[in-house]
Amino acid sequence: MTSVGGVAGDVPATPPGRTAPREPMFRRVADVFRANEEKGWRWSARVAVLLPLVALVFAVTVLALKAWPAIRVNGWYFLYGKNWTYGDSYGATVSTHGVAHAAGAQFGAWPIIAGTLQSSFIAIVVAVPLSIGAAFALTERMPGWISRPLGYAIEILAGIPSVVIGLWGLLTFGPWLAKNIYPIVASIASALPNVEPFNYFRQPVGSGEGLLTAGLVLGMMIIPIITSTTRELFIQVPTLPKEGGEALGMTHWEVANRITLPWVRSGIIGGTVLGLGRALGETIAVVLVGGASLRLAPNIYQPFGTIAATILSQLDGAQADGTGFAVATLAELALVLAVISVAVNLAARAIISRTGRTGGPVGSGA
Amino acid sequence: MTKLMSAPRLRGSMIALAAVGLALSSVVLSTAASASVKLPSSGVEKPPAGTVTETGSTLLYPLFNLWVGGYNTTYPSVTVQTAGTGSGTGISDAENGTINIGASDAYLAPSVTSANPDLKNIPLAISSQLVAYNVPGVLSHLKLTGKVLSSIYQGTITTWNASQIASLNPGVTLPNIPIVTLHRSDSSGDTFLFTQFLSKTDPSGWGAKIAYNTTVPWPAAPGALGETGNSGMVTGCKATPGCIAYVGISYLTQALQAGLGYASLQNAKGQYEVPTAASIAAEAASFVAKTPANGTISLIYGSAPGGYPIVNYEYAIVSNKQSSSTTAKGIRSLLEWAINPKLGAATTYLAQVNFQPLPAKVEAQSVKQILSIS
Amino acid sequence: MTTNTSLAGGPATRRRRFSSQGFRIFTYGALVLIIAPAVWILLGVLFRALGHWRWDVLWTPLTAAGGGLRDQILGTLLLMAGVLILAGTVGVLAGIHLSEMAKIKKNGKASGGLLRTASDILSGFPSIVLGYVGYAALVLYFHWGFSYLAAVIILSVMVVPYIAKTTENSLRQVPTGYREGAEALGMSMGDSLRKVVLKTALPGIVTGLLLALAIAGGETAPLIYTANFANKIPHSVTHASFPYLTYVVFSFYDSSQVSYHYLAYDAALILVVMVLLLLVASRIIVARTQRHAEGARTKTRTPRAPKPAPDDHVELLDLPINR
Repeated sequence: MTSVGGVAGDVPATPPGRTAPREPMFRRVADVFRANEEKGWRWSARVAVLLPLVALVFAVTVLALKAWPAIRVNGWYFLYGKNWTYGDSYGATVSTHGVAHAAGAQFGAWPIIAGTLQSSFIAIVVAVPLSIGAAFALTERMPGWISRPLGYAIEILAGIPSVVIGLWGLLTFGPWLAKNIYPIVASIASALPNVEPFNYFRQPVGSGEGLLTAGLVLGMMIIPIITSTTRELFIQVPTLPKEGGEALGMTHWEVANRITLPWVRSGIIGGTVLGLGRALGETIAVVLVGGASLRLAPNIYQPFGTIAATILSQLDGAQADGTGFAVATLAELALVLAVISVAVNLAARAIISRTGRTGGPVGSGA
Repeated sequence: MTKLMSAPRLRGSMIALAAVGLALSSVVLSTAASASVKLPSSGVEKPPAGTVTETGSTLLYPLFNLWVGGYNTTYPSVTVQTAGTGSGTGISDAENGTINIGASDAYLAPSVTSANPDLKNIPLAISSQLVAYNVPGVLSHLKLTGKVLSSIYQGTITTWNASQIASLNPGVTLPNIPIVTLHRSDSSGDTFLFTQFLSKTDPSGWGAKIAYNTTVPWPAAPGALGETGNSGMVTGCKATPGCIAYVGISYLTQALQAGLGYASLQNAKGQYEVPTAASIAAEAASFVAKTPANGTISLIYGSAPGGYPIVNYEYAIVSNKQSSSTTAKGIRSLLEWAINPKLGAATTYLAQVNFQPLPAKVEAQSVKQILSIS
Repeated sequence: MTTNTSLAGGPATRRRRFSSQGFRIFTYGALVLIIAPAVWILLGVLFRALGHWRWDVLWTPLTAAGGGLRDQILGTLLLMAGVLILAGTVGVLAGIHLSEMAKIKKNGKASGGLLRTASDILSGFPSIVLGYVGYAALVLYFHWGFSYLAAVIILSVMVVPYIAKTTENSLRQVPTGYREGAEALGMSMGDSLRKVVLKTALPGIVTGLLLALAIAGGETAPLIYTANFANKIPHSVTHASFPYLTYVVFSFYDSSQVSYHYLAYDAALILVVMVLLLLVASRIIVARTQRHAEGARTKTRTPRAPKPAPDDHVELLDLPINR
C-alpha cells in the first residue's frame, strides 16, 4: 500500500482522478479466505461429522450384501444349529435356492454365539465389582504419591495392545491359573452337588487355554473402561449429600451404598454396557487364549470359540471353498456380531440418556 | 554432436542404422512374443529386479526360507517376502491375486479350479507327515494304524493303554494316561493330508462322517486342543503329556528336540513304516506314472511296498495370468530355481527339512507348468 | 453389643463397623487386583524381551533367519502418522461440529443426536468386522490389494469416533465467556475458533489424538486383513503388503525358529514402550498447559460445594469428619 508520510490517519496518496490502488495479490487472497473461512469450517465440519454415519452404513451394507447368499441357504439353523462343517469341498458342488455350495456344508453358529455370550458374561461379572471397588478406593483421599502411579497403571492397562495381553495370557497367566487356581476351584466344585452350574467347574482343568481364562483376560481388558467411567462419575457426585450422610453418622459403606451408588447407577450401567461391547468384539486376545473350538465348551476350563475369534481364525479356511459360500457364511457371522454390538450400544445410550446425562451445556466448564 | 549431425551424409547413415535396428528388434520381439518361454541352458531365467511374495503352508515355510537365502546369493536384486500362514491362506491369496505364490500341501479343490481356471498347483518337492506323540516312558516308535488313529480322534479310544494300541505294540509298556488329541485350528494342508489318510484307511467311519479338507469339524474327543501352525502343534504337544499330533516332516528336528516320539504307520501292504528318505521315495515312486500334467493327485496310502503312507507333493499355487510380464518372469525364475535338481532341489536344501526331490518325470511336468505362467 | 450414644468413635453396632471395614478392605483389595495384572504384564514382557535383547533389533531388517524389526517399527510409526493425518483431521472437525455448530433443539439438548449415536456405535464396532469390510471393499473390490492405504483408512474409521468425542468434550470445557469475548471483540468465527477456542481446548484434543494413536498402533485383527504383513517397507501405498509390529507378536511367538520367538517378545516390549511414551507425552502436555491456564484446578479435582449464603450458620466443610 502506498502512503506518503508516516502520520496516522494519512490517506494513502493517490494521484487525482484515480481510485485507490489495488491491494497486493496475497492480501486479496487472504481477504477472500477470511471471508469464506467460516463457510469453510462449517462445510468441512459437516462433512466430517457425517463420515462415521456413512462408514457405519457402508459397513453394514457390505456385510449384508456378502452375507445374503448364506442367509438364504443357512436360514434359521445358523442361529440354533450346533454343527459347523464346510462339507465335502473336494467333492461335487450342489445348489440350494440358487446358491452354489459344497455338498454337506452346514453352518450352525449356536456354539460360537453361546461362547461369545459366556465369555462376555464372565468378563462383566469379574470386572464390574472390581472396577467399582477400585473407583471407590481411588476417590478416597490418597496421598499423591500413591494415587498418581495408580492412575497411570490403569491408563497403561487400557493402552496395552490386546495382542500383548493375549500373548501374556497364553504364555504366563493361563498356565499359572491352570496350575494354581483352577485345581482349587475344581476341588471346591467336586464337593458341591453334581448339578448344572456346579459340575461345569469340575475337572478336567486343562492347560489354561479355555473359556474361564479368556473370560478373565477379557475382564482385565474392560476394567480400565469401567473404572475410569465410574471414577469420573464418583467425582461428579456432589459432596454435600455425602458429607451430610457422614455427619449423620453413616459409615463409609453406607454412604457409598445409599448415596453415591444410587446417584451414579445409570452411569455405571452405561459404562458397563460399553465395556460389554468391547468384550463382545474382542478378537485377538480370545484367539490366543481361548483355544479354537467350534463347539460348546464342555466345561469352563476347556477351549471354546467366540464370533470374533472364529471370523479371524476361519477366514482363510473359508476361502479355500471355491464356491464362495463359506466366505458368505463368515460375512453372515460378522453381520450377527455387528447387530449384537449395535444393539448393546443402543441399549447403553438409552440407559444413559434416561437421566439426561449426554454432554453438558457448552461452556459450563465442568 | 550437432556438427556431426549436420553433415548430411552422416545424418543419412544414422537414419539408416536406426531403421535397421528398429526392424531387427521388431523381428526379435515378434518371435519372442509368438514363441513360448524357453528355459535357458542354466535352467533358471534371469529375474528382473523387484519383489516376489509368497505365503501359505507352514510345512513348506522353513524350506522356502532356505530357498530364498540361496536364491538371493545369485540374484540379489530380487526381494522375496515369505510367510507361514497355512495352506488355506496360500490358496485363497493366490486366488485373489493378493500374493504371487501360494504354498500349499493340498491340491486345489475342483470348486476352486472351476471358479479360477487360471490357477495351477505346481509340485515343487515331496514332503511327508509324521504322527507325533508325547507319551512318557515310550522310547521306540509306536505302531499305529489309520483305523486306530481314526478312533482316537473320534474319541472312542481315550487312553494310551487301550487294548487296540497295546495289541499293535506287544512288549511296550503303555501308561494309563488319557490321550489328548491336537488338531490344527487354522486352515491347513497338514489337516488335509491327515484327514485324507484317515478317510482312506477308515472309509466307512471317518471317510463317511467327516471326510477330508483343510478344515474339518473335529469330533468332540475329550480334551481335544486346537493349535496354530506346525510349530504350535509341536509346542502344544510338548506341553501336554499324553498328546498326539500330526506334524509336517520339516518339523522333525523340533519335534525330537521337544522330546516327542513319532509313530510307525501301517501302509496298504500291512507293513509298518517310519518316514525315512527311502520309505518316502518308495511311496512317491509308485505314483509317478499316475501323476497328471497338472500335478493334482494324492500320494496318500498307496500300495508301494516299503512306502510310508502319508506322503504328498508340496505345491506352489500360482495363477497363469499375472498382472505384468515382469512379475511373471520373477515368479518363474524363483520357481525354476527351486525345482532345479542342482540348485533348490539339491540335497543341501531338502535334507535340512527331510524333503525328497521330485522324480524326473514330475519335475519335467512342473517345469512345463511354470513356463506357462505369463 | 456395645451401644454408643456419642457421634464420635464411629458407628454404634459391630455389624456396621465390620461392614464398613470390610468395604474398605474390599475397595483396596479391588485396586490391588486391578493393578497387579497390569504390573505383571509389564514385568513379564520386560523380562521375556530383556532376556535376549539386542539393540540392533531396532535398526536391522527382518530376514528369514531372524534379524531385527526395523521395518516393522517404521511401519507401525507410518501407520500412526497416516491415522493422525486422516483420522485427526476428520475427527477434530467432527468434534468441532458436534460442539460448536450443533443447534440447540427445543428440549435443550444439542442436535446431532443421530450423528453422535452413529459415532458411538462405530466406536464400539468390533475391529475384526471393520477389517473384514475393509478386505471385501478396499482390498478386493477396489483392487488395491493388501496395502498401506487400506490399512490407514480402516484404522482411521476405527478411531475417528474416539477423537471426535474427546475433541467435543475438550471444546465443551472452554468457558462460553471466551467465545462471547471473542465475538464482542469482533473476531470472525474462523479467527475465534482458531485463536481462542481451539487453542484453549488444545491439550484435551492432543491427548485424545495421542491416545487414538496408541489404540491404532496396537490393533492387529483389522491390519491382518488390510495390510497382511511384509518383511520390508514397500515402495507403494497400494498393491503391496505392509509391515507392522503387532503381527510379529501374534504370529512369531511359536515359530519354528527360536530367533523369531525373541523377536515376538521384542516387538511386545517395543509396543508397550510406544504406548507408554504416548501416555507420558499426553500427561506432560496436559500438565504444562494447565500450569499456564487461568483457573488451574487443584489436584483433587473435587468440585467444591456451593458456598452457603452468608447467614448460614454451619460450615460443613469445617467439621472434622474423617474423610
